[in-house]
Amino acid sequence: MSVMISRISDGASCTVRIVGHIAAWSGLALVLLVAFNVLARYLFGYGTVALQEMEWHLMAVTALFGMSYGLNQGGEVRVDVLYSGFRPRTKAIVDLIAHIGLLAVSLIIAYLCIAYVQASYSINEGSPDPGGLGYRYVLKAALPIAFALLSIQALAMVLHGILQLTGQRPLPETDPE
Amino acid sequence: MPYTEILALCMIGAFFVLLLGGIPVAVCLGVTGFAFGYAGFGPMLFTLMPARIFGVVTNYTLLALPLFIFMGIMLEKSRIAEDLLEVIGLAMGGLRGGMALAIILVGVLMGAASGVVGATVVTVGLIALGPIINRGYDAGVASGVICASGTLGQIIPPSLVLILLADIMGESVGTLFAAALFPGLMLAGLFVAYVLLLGVINPKAVPAIPQAERAQYTRRDLALKLFKVVLPPLVLIFLVLGSIIGGVAAPTEAASMGAFGSIVLAALSGRLNFTILRDAVRAAFVTSAMVFLILIFAQPFGLAFRGLGGEHLVQTAFGNVPGGFNGQIFFLMLLLFVLGFFLEWIEISYIALPLFLPVFLSSGADMAWIAILVAMNLQTSFLTPPFGWALFFLKGVAPPSVTTAQIYRGVLPFIGLQVIALSLVFFFPGLATWLPETIGW
Amino acid sequence: QTSFNWKMTNAYGPGSPFYVEGPGSPTDFCKKVEAMSDGRLKIQHFAAGELIPALEGFDAVRSGAVEMNAANAYFWAGKLPAAQYFTTVPFGLNFQGMNAWLYHAGGMDLWDELYAPLGLKALPMGNTGVQMTGWFRDPITSTADFDGLKMRIPGLAGKVYAQLGVDVKLLPGGEIFPALERGVIDAAEFVGPYQDRRLGLQNAAKYYYSTGWHEPSNVTELLMNQSAWESLPADLQEIVKTAAMACNLESHTWCEANNAAALKDLVENEGVIADVLPSDVVAELKAVTDQVLSDGAAADPALAKVHESFMAFKAEHGAWAAVSEKPLYSL
Ligand code: NA
Ligand code: NA
Repeated sequence: MSVMISRISDGASCTVRIVGHIAAWSGLALVLLVAFNVLARYLFGYGTVALQEMEWHLMAVTALFGMSYGLNQGGEVRVDVLYSGFRPRTKAIVDLIAHIGLLAVSLIIAYLCIAYVQASYSINEGSPDPGGLGYRYVLKAALPIAFALLSIQALAMVLHGILQLTGQRPLPETDPE
Repeated sequence: MPYTEILALCMIGAFFVLLLGGIPVAVCLGVTGFAFGYAGFGPMLFTLMPARIFGVVTNYTLLALPLFIFMGIMLEKSRIAEDLLEVIGLAMGGLRGGMALAIILVGVLMGAASGVVGATVVTVGLIALGPIINRGYDAGVASGVICASGTLGQIIPPSLVLILLADIMGESVGTLFAAALFPGLMLAGLFVAYVLLLGVINPKAVPAIPQAERAQYTRRDLALKLFKVVLPPLVLIFLVLGSIIGGVAAPTEAASMGAFGSIVLAALSGRLNFTILRDAVRAAFVTSAMVFLILIFAQPFGLAFRGLGGEHLVQTAFGNVPGGFNGQIFFLMLLLFVLGFFLEWIEISYIALPLFLPVFLSSGADMAWIAILVAMNLQTSFLTPPFGWALFFLKGVAPPSVTTAQIYRGVLPFIGLQVIALSLVFFFPGLATWLPETIGW
Repeated sequence: QTSFNWKMTNAYGPGSPFYVEGPGSPTDFCKKVEAMSDGRLKIQHFAAGELIPALEGFDAVRSGAVEMNAANAYFWAGKLPAAQYFTTVPFGLNFQGMNAWLYHAGGMDLWDELYAPLGLKALPMGNTGVQMTGWFRDPITSTADFDGLKMRIPGLAGKVYAQLGVDVKLLPGGEIFPALERGVIDAAEFVGPYQDRRLGLQNAAKYYYSTGWHEPSNVTELLMNQSAWESLPADLQEIVKTAAMACNLESHTWCEANNAAALKDLVENEGVIADVLPSDVVAELKAVTDQVLSDGAAADPALAKVHESFMAFKAEHGAWAAVSEKPLYSL
């Protein structure tokens, strides 16, 4: 049983990491694209609506797919005024509760986003600006997918927490204060 | 009091309990938002959630965030920033607090280039916090300087806060930009004075680089080193600021000049290879996403606060304010400050300002002056524990050894300085109104 | 008697005159409806960003989460290309003509026909009247001046300018001023004298051209969820219709009065040079516009139907205006 839990947890975590490693390059693409748009406009008077729209399309990818990868890499931000003094077991319990909450919220948001994408797909939504990027629902579809991925990451953390509390993985460390 | 407004209060209470219990910020916001929102108005309003999230991740003005973060990470990974602070510390000689002064200067310059909450705090936090703590700075003081300098960008034009306020208050963006310039610089001046004072009364918190180490460098060595190390980052800042002033880029896109420039710099310094680039790309991805994670998970909370009629609570309180115009200004300042404990600034502006606008308009007071008071106050709210955006953003990039308690303690004096600056603008409105009147904006 | 508590979202930010506040504005509409219905239909208004971001009202109303939204139908061009015609058409109809088409010449029927399949119902609820061509840092003397010009101009007009060599730059409202002031863009279009002065554009560029060939009038759309609309008893429906019509008139006349005063102030006190685009430039813009519009109609059957009705009425109305209004203006 615990072997299976461990395997699921690792598999989920690995999936998030692989997707994250690919999506991370959207950040570099964003830098190069915005710089290109600025310089091409200034130097050659060249610019297209599609390339300008592509800027915030890339930002959406960075923001959405970064969430799960960031948590995967331990990027959580918390107020640790009390937390840092907790015993390892208490910390593990707090983390487990937090990650169950995260799992619930990301599943709810992923579910809510499906209708939002459908509404866009049903009318073949594109850009309101002539020359803009079409297929707006593809971008919108990134919402439920990213939150599904976030749920997978949350699941990995929940399972990890269960393994910690049942003594099969080491508990969080105490702060050296 | 209606049932939903009681729920709104409970939601705020629950948020604080979870937050102090050590639950991650994003989870606190998301869970309390959904739980209390559902109890108050059921599932229907939550169908708006995807629209709000889509709005955040496609918000054009937030582009500066990933761009500046990329620049900061690149400077950090290529160790340009570390060298820079070190050399500045050396160049300041025996002056205590030298590196903190350099951070304030960077805050002012980056503030003049960007107006997005968090962009400067994260960038400066990334490049400077570790190095100056290694140099013996008190972690609290170091965090305080970075948070406070990082939020200067909200008052030094251009700034998102000012753009939004211009919209709400019916002032031109240019007028507010001009009005904010002197108060912003004055605030930076207060920070400088405080750091210098700290060097006298608490020298251990802001040590100078030891004499022995300084003695290893001759003046010429140092001058050469200074030139070599200071020049590149200065070029970056010049690229960003210069592209705005020179009409090459609009404020938001100007950040790309810095980010792109940082890649070129790293390449020129010979420190760029695939591993460094890949690590920088991944680190920037994580850091940007952690800022967005909080912004995204703030959406259920904001929606629930609205849906539960939370703004009525504020309205009711406003109805009971005594003491005429000054009383109302004072109450507004207090209210913004308190709301800053648990709401993000956009939400605050939308809830609080429309309530007060009719009063201020009928008083005949200078709206630009009021806008600057409001902007400084909102800026303070980024710093107020326990919920201050700047504090979270810094925590997100701080070395693990830096605790939240240290950050909280470190920002307190700066909050005091903000209050002093705010009072100065209140008692001497000319600080805000003189420039726009003089240049005719 | 049942009473209704509705929500209205708005595509414009808090405090915007005409679009949010003031006589005939959406918040005024909410007040009117509440007063006329003696409180039986209460509408809570949310400016852009308060409940949802600016351009999400269409989906919000469609999903039924809010009952009403105030915006311009051309914001939905990516969803329903034909919707553009219910805001404005370049070289199209002015306030009188637009309302004549909507109310009496089949415009409203076409609007209903377009929106009904999506469960939506719309009414005109305001109009800016004719807008200005925009602000230019340098004078425009011929179409050659458009070549390489960097301009903030969204929508169909942007496409027309682009064909004349303009580099179209998309910018949010708040960044227009800094970008124009520093010369990142050479020209910008916003609304009209009153709104533009509020943005401070006169401090960034001095040449202020008319006429609003690209927006001869501009309709504010009241968008409603159709099931919500049908759930209203007949008297409340009539109240909504009448209040929207009252706002349509009141907002337009408010703009006329304020724009007149604002333009005078801009020219006399702010050194703005207000001028009309040279007629050969306008003629060339018109030729390109005709091509862009017919290309658009060829690509979308729903749009073609609206286009034909609009153009047929425009020809008819134009012939009448030529003998009625036009001579009056040259007196
Ligand atoms: Na700024
Ligand atoms: Na705060």
